[in-house]
Amino acid sequence: MSILSKLFKKKNKSKQNDNYRQQQDPDAPKNLPILRDYHENISRLKEELGNSTDVAFREFNLKQYKGVAVYIDGLANSNMISDFFMDALLKNQEELQSDSFQNLVDKVTSLGNLRIINNWGQVYESLLSGNTLFFVEGHTKAINVETKGWDKRAISEPTTQLSIRGPKDSFIESIRTNTALIRRRIKSPNLWLETMKIGTVTQTDVAIMYVKGIVNDKVVTEVKERLNQINIDSVLESGYIEQLIEDQTWTSFPTIFHTERPDVVSSQLLEGRVAIFVDGTPFVITAPAVFIQFFQAPDDYYSRFDISTGIRLLRILSFFIALIAPALYISITTFHQEMVPTTMAIAIAAQRENVPFPAFVEALIMEVTFEILREAGLRLPRAVGQAVSIVGALVIGQAAVQAGFVSPVMVIVVSITAIANFSTPSFAMAISARLLRFIIMALATFLGFYGIMLGVMFMTIHLCSLRSFGIPYMSPIAPFNINQQQDVLIRFPIWAFKNRPPLISKGNIKRTGKGQKPGPPSQSDRKQDSDQGDQS
Amino acid sequence: MKMFLALFLLLFSILPVLSGCWNQKELTDLAFVMALGVDKGKNHRFDVAFQIVNPGNVSAGQGQGGGGLPIAVYKSSGDTLTEAARNAALKVSRRLYYAHCNLLVIGEKLAKEGILDIFDALERDPGFRTTTEIVIARDSTAEELVTTLTILDKLPVSKVTKELQTSEDMLGETLKVNIDDFITSLVSKGKQPLITGYSVIGDKKIADNSQNLQITTTKAFLSANGIGLFRKGKLIGWINGYKARGAVWVLNKVSGTDVNIDWNGKKNAINVTPLRSRTKVSAKIKNGKPMINVVIKEESIISEINTNADISNPNEIAKIEKKVGKVIKSQVIEVIKEAQNKKCDIFGFGEKVHLANPKLWKRIQNNWDEQFSETKVFVTVKPYQRRSGVRRNPFWNELKQ
Repeated sequence: MSILSKLFKKKNKSKQNDNYRQQQDPDAPKNLPILRDYHENISRLKEELGNSTDVAFREFNLKQYKGVAVYIDGLANSNMISDFFMDALLKNQEELQSDSFQNLVDKVTSLGNLRIINNWGQVYESLLSGNTLFFVEGHTKAINVETKGWDKRAISEPTTQLSIRGPKDSFIESIRTNTALIRRRIKSPNLWLETMKIGTVTQTDVAIMYVKGIVNDKVVTEVKERLNQINIDSVLESGYIEQLIEDQTWTSFPTIFHTERPDVVSSQLLEGRVAIFVDGTPFVITAPAVFIQFFQAPDDYYSRFDISTGIRLLRILSFFIALIAPALYISITTFHQEMVPTTMAIAIAAQRENVPFPAFVEALIMEVTFEILREAGLRLPRAVGQAVSIVGALVIGQAAVQAGFVSPVMVIVVSITAIANFSTPSFAMAISARLLRFIIMALATFLGFYGIMLGVMFMTIHLCSLRSFGIPYMSPIAPFNINQQQDVLIRFPIWAFKNRPPLISKGNIKRTGKGQKPGPPSQSDRKQDSDQGDQS
Repeated sequence: MKMFLALFLLLFSILPVLSGCWNQKELTDLAFVMALGVDKGKNHRFDVAFQIVNPGNVSAGQGQGGGGLPIAVYKSSGDTLTEAARNAALKVSRRLYYAHCNLLVIGEKLAKEGILDIFDALERDPGFRTTTEIVIARDSTAEELVTTLTILDKLPVSKVTKELQTSEDMLGETLKVNIDDFITSLVSKGKQPLITGYSVIGDKKIADNSQNLQITTTKAFLSANGIGLFRKGKLIGWINGYKARGAVWVLNKVSGTDVNIDWNGKKNAINVTPLRSRTKVSAKIKNGKPMINVVIKEESIISEINTNADISNPNEIAKIEKKVGKVIKSQVIEVIKEAQNKKCDIFGFGEKVHLANPKLWKRIQNNWDEQFSETKVFVTVKPYQRRSGVRRNPFWNELKQ
């Protein structure tokens, strides 16, 4: 593994060098001034943007002010721009008397978010994020008006993380909408938001959100530091950021959580985690993440505790089924025939009688076939999706058994594995079980149950060695803390959630007030009630 | 150093691949031995019959199953059990696999000559389970027993093992004895082993033929038949019927059986079925001689009354209880006398003496068989009538009026 990592390191270095060269472009228009003649500004823009046809120039002439409004068609809201001109022309003709730039700024513009730009470097930044720039003849400044307004998808139901009970909204591709979805849920001045741009070419908006006073400040600093260290040309999805700031690359387990549900992000923020929003993706990542978090579905908190506890235990069980079911089959049929009841051993033997392959090959064929089916089902256009399921169910399931290539038991094992795998709420965690399954299958082939034990042991050791932003990945199971078990294997009733996870939110950990346990009113209360009833 | 470590890990991880799958055995390469029949050999010491399951014919799988016979029997011989097992490789295409062997059948001839020579092999083999049950092929050879086909249960083995269980639960005339039990009582000086006998009843010639499966009343079938008494690993005799039941009473293994008593001068008019029972055996030393106390506490329900009886009257119930106690006591005493005649302490009275007075036991243990035959045994039965089924007084009462 270290050999591999060495190779990768070398590659990374050369990539970094490339980036560095791009940045050192001598033509970079960093600190050039804005020109006095607006025509020259136009020609310069046209030249530097390569005459791109979606750049709109609208010249205006309002009394003594001549100039041009520049915006990118499709990014800027054209209604807002025409509003500006209507305003200026109709309402404020009289007020445009004095010749100062500030006068224009103050009087004319009825538009909201407004900023003065002094140098050329900021021109592209604002123009390309959808703002409109006003260059005025005779001034070396430009007015930058926030006119962002591009088409975006409506807020819809989550597609990857469904729940029976709970809010039905999900994040969309617009970062502003996403942050607003959280603001709507947490109406606290302590909900802080910081924004930065990452990606030397894409200049993607990345926002860090946390609840000041609950979050561990060290984690915030660490997150910012790691984000600042990112030097990459593009960030197209939060997965880029996740992979660039995670603690450990050499693991199949996710050490950063991602979700498309605002309610999940809100609850994570309130536990003291940091959320990172990336523009252009509905997936928000949160850190630090712990192992058990990937088995906590939003429904767990919305339904009653006994039910959620049962279902959570079921999920954890099914994670293990997804991990070791085929390996168990292999070891039982090749090593430990004595471990199953006699009739079952005979039944399996009868089915395997005509199967031409050893158990491992049989299991591998079926598992790989299923993985192919699943991947194909994911990528295929929706219209042909049904064809895949028919092929999968009939050809692979039934025909393979009838042809005698695989035993029916194997089909059962593959099915239970697949279904168990789907019951993990987090796709990132489910997929790691999917991958590790093959390793454990191989171990089972060579060493039987002993191999499975070895595999699971190594997996556990590895899990315990992981950290996510300084938090042990397996906490609060390892290191074990009796006071933090409210939300691990057993989901305690909400009134028993006395504290936030203290490892994550250092300091301010109090969550629930005293006496939150519901119950019938006490005797004295009841007496008072009846007294009042008599009086009235 | 890092490079070395990486290389080491890489090589280490290849290791299992190179070792060639130690101990790996595919299901399809195994012959599941379901029962082992051991007989006195003609040329060698042992003739061994391996009853091997034919999986495809047992489990009703996808169409192809069900046609042929569920078992195949291979025979082999050798001077030791292992030799015989290895010789079997000449005839069987697959590896013999003993982990699912549920039954060990010993031929009566061999049992009479002594069976000590076969147990170490079974105990030592890591694949063979010492929970395997043992039966003696009574009046037949072990081979005849393991080749017999059975209806209802496709596997003859499960017929025998299930039957041992149910008849112990329902009737109490057989005993489930596995290799562990046998060896434990074999080495104990204060207890002699017992093994249930099994016989092929009917036409032995067609017992192993599929014709035997085509008739509702099979012409040849397996049936439990008495309990064999052993001394020093040799079969010395059989106890049957009520005597066997008495032995099971003393051994505290009765969970269900039935007792007939006479009533109103009618023979076997009332039948009661014990639900649960508990037998306590204790030893006392008097005048340097051991005395055994057997106390049987038994709880039963009335299952049949074929005469008029007023069981709403507690006094009548007490009378029934008394009679039931008498019957059980007579059965128990009968078998104890028989065992004392044969000088064979099958009940483990010696062990009780050992517990009661270890010093005395040290003196008499080598002579226990003699001593046992003269030891006084007191039997007390404490019956209790729990219920009378879903009816109180029988219709006979009204009939007589």
